[in-house]
Amino acid sequence: MLLIAKAALGLSATLAVATAYTFHEGVIRVDVDEHRSGGSHVHFWMPATVVGFGMHVAPRHAMEKAARQTREVLPAIRLAAKELRNYPDAVLVEVTQEEQHVRVATEHGKLRVDVDGNDEKVHVVLPLEAIQDVTGRLEELNGGV
Amino acid sequence: MNTSTGKGTKRIGSRGYLNYAVAFAFATFTFGALDAGKALAQTLSAEASTEKATKSEQWIHVRVESKETGGETVRVNVPVDMAAKVLPAIHKGKLQDGRVHIDNAHMDDVDFPALLDAVRTAKDGEYVTVQSKENNVRVAKSGGFLFVNVTDKEHAGKNGGSESRVEVKVPMKVVDALFSAGKDELDVVAALHALSGHGDMDLVTVKDQDNTVRVWIDSKNVSN
Repeated sequence: MLLIAKAALGLSATLAVATAYTFHEGVIRVDVDEHRSGGSHVHFWMPATVVGFGMHVAPRHAMEKAARQTREVLPAIRLAAKELRNYPDAVLVEVTQEEQHVRVATEHGKLRVDVDGNDEKVHVVLPLEAIQDVTGRLEELNGGV
Repeated sequence: MNTSTGKGTKRIGSRGYLNYAVAFAFATFTFGALDAGKALAQTLSAEASTEKATKSEQWIHVRVESKETGGETVRVNVPVDMAAKVLPAIHKGKLQDGRVHIDNAHMDDVDFPALLDAVRTAKDGEYVTVQSKENNVRVAKSGGFLFVNVTDKEHAGKNGGSESRVEVKVPMKVVDALFSAGKDELDVVAALHALSGHGDMDLVTVKDQDNTVRVWIDSKNVSN
């Protein structure tokens, strides 16, 4: 009985540590709703740590291609993500049109992008730390950082 | 029998102590780690807030409002210091290393540094005043600021609307920094650094019958 209790304690502790590690970078959330016939509805969330892990296991040539294609903007995005973490939450860009509303804001260490249109709604939440990590790794593939 | 029981009791007691010791060690480690984590988080938080406090709180705001049918509103709010750090990382077209390259063809006939130096060292006053049927233009220097005001009356007359006005107010230090890179370049990063040292103020205001544009800096992170 005592052995089972010890095993359970060990398992719980391991699970707690693993959960804490998995979620320490926050959660990425994506919601896409296309309001038309045959329109897609995508809703998912995942721990930001998974992206970092995914980048390690993804085919290197695919990652290098992605890094090459985004080479020009990577340093700026990485720096912006790094810097924005030091500032209070703010709406960075907001565009209001008759049929569309676009909003890019920082909220609790995350970058939130909301696009509300008549035909579609897109909501993406990305932890700034994750953006910094991903862009940093892509820059490494380009031979930078 | 008793001895044996006593020994047995002693053995059980040892195992109990061992369990207690393991449990105690685990608890100490766990809570110690939590405390350490908490302390680390507090330290990092304190460092972050210190950094936040020491950072320049100036934000640059841009607001464009269109009055046309289905008119749109664009609002941009960016920390001045952040812009100054990110701009050098952008290498696109004429923007390189935080500097905007100016086409030589338009600058060859003008010795801009000399012109700027003349304006800087001159006393406050109006340097250019043009008043015509079509436009009013005024360039002046006052209290360490350069003012450029343009009123377009011709455009208003043709469309039967109100005249369009452009008002620019820039600290001379910012103008100096902007042109510090040389004849063919505008040093935007240097200008932003110079700008971050100033208080709240309007930089550019454009008003016509269709659009309103306002660029200003203040310590608020919202543009309302």
